[in-house]
Amino acid sequence: MKTAVTEPDSGTDLPTEGARPAHRLPFWVNQRLGLLVLIVALSILFGSLRPAFFDARLVLFPLLRDISTLTVVALAQMVVLSIGHMNLAVGRMAAFGALFAGFGFDRLHLPLALGLLLCLFAGCVIGALTGWIIARTGVSSFVVTLAMDFALLGLVSLLYSSLTDNAAFTTRPAGLTELRSYSLADICAGPVCGSPAIPQMTQFTVLALVVLGFLYARTRMGRELLLTGANPAAAELSGVPTGRRIILAHGLSGLLAALAGFMAAVGTGTFSASIGDDFMLPSFLGAVLGGTLLTGGVVSVIGALLGTSLVGVIRKGLDLLGVGLESLNIYLGCILLLALSADRVRTVVSYRKVVRST
Amino acid sequence: MSELLPEDGLPEGESGSAGPQEGVVRGDVLLACEDIVKVFPGVRALDGVGLRLTAGSVHALLGENGAGKSTLIKVITGVHTPDGGRLVRRGEEIHLRSPLEAARAGIGVVHQERNLIPGFSVAENITLQNPPSRRGLVDREAMTAPAERCLAELGLDIDPHRPVRELSVAQQQLVEIAKALYTESRVLLLDEPTASLSPQEAERLFDVIRRLTERGTCVVFVSHKLEEVFAVCDTVTVLRDGRSVLESAPLAAHTQDDVVTLMVGRTHAVTDMAPRTVDTSAAPALSLTGVSTAAGHEDISLSVRPGEIVGLYGLVGAGRSELIKAVLGLDRVTGGEIQVYGRTAKIGSPREALHEYGIGYLTENRKEEGVFLEQPIVRNITVTVWKRLARALGYVSSREEQGVSEDLVDRLSIRVSGLQQNAGELSGGNQQKVSLAKWLAADTKLLVVDEPTVGVDVRTKHAFHELIWELARGGLPILLISSDLAEMITLADRVVVMADHRIRGEVDNDHDYDRMSGQIIRIIHDRAVSVVSPVPTKSATL
Repeated sequence: MKTAVTEPDSGTDLPTEGARPAHRLPFWVNQRLGLLVLIVALSILFGSLRPAFFDARLVLFPLLRDISTLTVVALAQMVVLSIGHMNLAVGRMAAFGALFAGFGFDRLHLPLALGLLLCLFAGCVIGALTGWIIARTGVSSFVVTLAMDFALLGLVSLLYSSLTDNAAFTTRPAGLTELRSYSLADICAGPVCGSPAIPQMTQFTVLALVVLGFLYARTRMGRELLLTGANPAAAELSGVPTGRRIILAHGLSGLLAALAGFMAAVGTGTFSASIGDDFMLPSFLGAVLGGTLLTGGVVSVIGALLGTSLVGVIRKGLDLLGVGLESLNIYLGCILLLALSADRVRTVVSYRKVVRST
Repeated sequence: MSELLPEDGLPEGESGSAGPQEGVVRGDVLLACEDIVKVFPGVRALDGVGLRLTAGSVHALLGENGAGKSTLIKVITGVHTPDGGRLVRRGEEIHLRSPLEAARAGIGVVHQERNLIPGFSVAENITLQNPPSRRGLVDREAMTAPAERCLAELGLDIDPHRPVRELSVAQQQLVEIAKALYTESRVLLLDEPTASLSPQEAERLFDVIRRLTERGTCVVFVSHKLEEVFAVCDTVTVLRDGRSVLESAPLAAHTQDDVVTLMVGRTHAVTDMAPRTVDTSAAPALSLTGVSTAAGHEDISLSVRPGEIVGLYGLVGAGRSELIKAVLGLDRVTGGEIQVYGRTAKIGSPREALHEYGIGYLTENRKEEGVFLEQPIVRNITVTVWKRLARALGYVSSREEQGVSEDLVDRLSIRVSGLQQNAGELSGGNQQKVSLAKWLAADTKLLVVDEPTVGVDVRTKHAFHELIWELARGGLPILLISSDLAEMITLADRVVVMADHRIRGEVDNDHDYDRMSGQIIRIIHDRAVSVVSPVPTKSATL
């Protein structure tokens, strides 16, 4: 899983023709700042080309709702990337969670909040189970989550077809419709109302961002997750409970995936097996664009939001400009490749710094 | 299992490689290294090494652990590019950029570690570097004949179609040598080729070496077993601290004692440290009694008292780090008793060792197990104390973290540009200090230090020794694992010698280098002699 990026042998083979010491990384390697600039610039560009881009209700509202959901998806991936693992079942775990929410509303007549809790719990359990298998067997997370993806694909469809008539739960508990379509404009403090562009669903994303930000920046567990990702052997020998951290990361990933599944289901209004089908690629795209390393040990919570936003803005903008879906995906592929190269450039640049200093 | 094949192998001429190589006269210089320099971050691994390899000779390359033998082999075989000096092949300078180029230049190597592909057949492995092909496709049929020829030369009766993973370790070692024969190298480097061979198998290998030299090949032989070296080699180069102290001299002019003296050298001044006394009446901090492990240790007994530095010396592979890992719960302890400060300890994980018993383990592989290279220094140091610093919700205050780290950075005088700097940007010595700092932060009651100064420059090495000495003076019990004899004799109060996963002897250290090194080497050496003691060779037991 972990690749050795810093072997003394390979490093000294690097060409050292650069006469200027690379003390500072080029600005575009600082992904967060670069992303923010790009998002603003592109929004202005699209807005000036198609003024409709700034239409609060028709463009911005759905755009932000998509971004909210996909940011949670990216966070679900980021959490496992932080320990150097990956979660290929992120979409199916979303479907699994949403299934429980739908079941709770339809059969158990649960209120909105309890259904959400059931959904999160289901996601967390399936994620933790995945993590437990990985920690116990030592099989790579790629293989285990791939297997989990197939298992859930079958299980979720099977449950939907045996539990429902038309393979979807459509019961909507009180508050679901409001959650789906209300924006901050519906929340007023006296005469001041919020923006109609910002959907209420964003609250979940903000909450997830804050919790994860706190986890990674301020707590023991967050730090231990990162060290487990950076070097599992050294972490274990330094007294970090790496096995438990692996389970934690996957459990958290499952929980976030389920939250995203819930948000997607609320967005479409139906709980069906197809939820989360298109989550896997955006999950990597958002996290990696944001500066999270695929090799583990480095995450950026805010980066996941920015990365996902950039993709969302580009998608929507090109869509408004009338670019077809196919060519749109070509552009997105190129962006991902660039982001991954930036990752590599960063490693190489920081490596040269080490070699120069000795 | 098999009868010996005729010693002559297959008739000459049937294979392309048999018979003297064209244009090579015995005594010609096939390959010369001139003033080779190789620098790694923080250390000059090779510092002006010369080596002349002549056709038809067996050349011994000797030196202690860390003297630069493996680095030199890697330079000659194109793994490392030298930072200075030249490689000259039959009069013209060559630049090897990859092992493949070295192989094309007629330089073959059998490394210490196995390099076979377990799932491939014996024949496929032997012909790996240049598989016979027909119309661009690998020709499996044509593989068998040359593979069988190479195996026959070694007197091996192994079905070339068998997958390598089914073979014993010794057989794999021999297949590795067969692979080197296939490439028809003019210079063949064997790094510790007899480490996993029985005496009979080793004897067979020596026959092959002799036959190869008759054809004009030069064989470079690296071994810790001096008897073997004196039995098969003609010339010798001795490395010490990255320099050649004896360069391509005839071996016959030297005795084993001479060579040992050259290897250890007298320039190793054992540094004098401020006096330190150990209270020998104190109860031991760590004691192992008759411990055996799943890793193969048997009947290990040793103890470390507070304020004492006990050295655990042995060659690479003696099982020293493995013993500690078993004690820390990373491998199974199958028998005997471990006591930490008088308390019988059943340790399940390094975490338990740290939090329950206060044992810190400064690992041997700094980069793989010691530091988190791409993480800031502050995290590297405080990883062991987060549990203590954490408050509600697992909140860890950055300020407290900074405080702990700053104290230790000052105390150990770690040269950093800031606490947020990544550990990977530090020199080897400073990385090692960071690695030590985390155990001091955790206030450990017992410290195991494993090869603390490998890849660390001389000055930092001395500073590090003083640091360990001071810690012991402060009452910390220290178990020091090292393959560096001078380091052992500088620091340890007692030296326990380990070989083949067993304790072979114990020497009280009087810090007299000559006497101590002689005693210690003799303890290990007695072992080595008994391994090579000839047993009547009737049939191979492969």
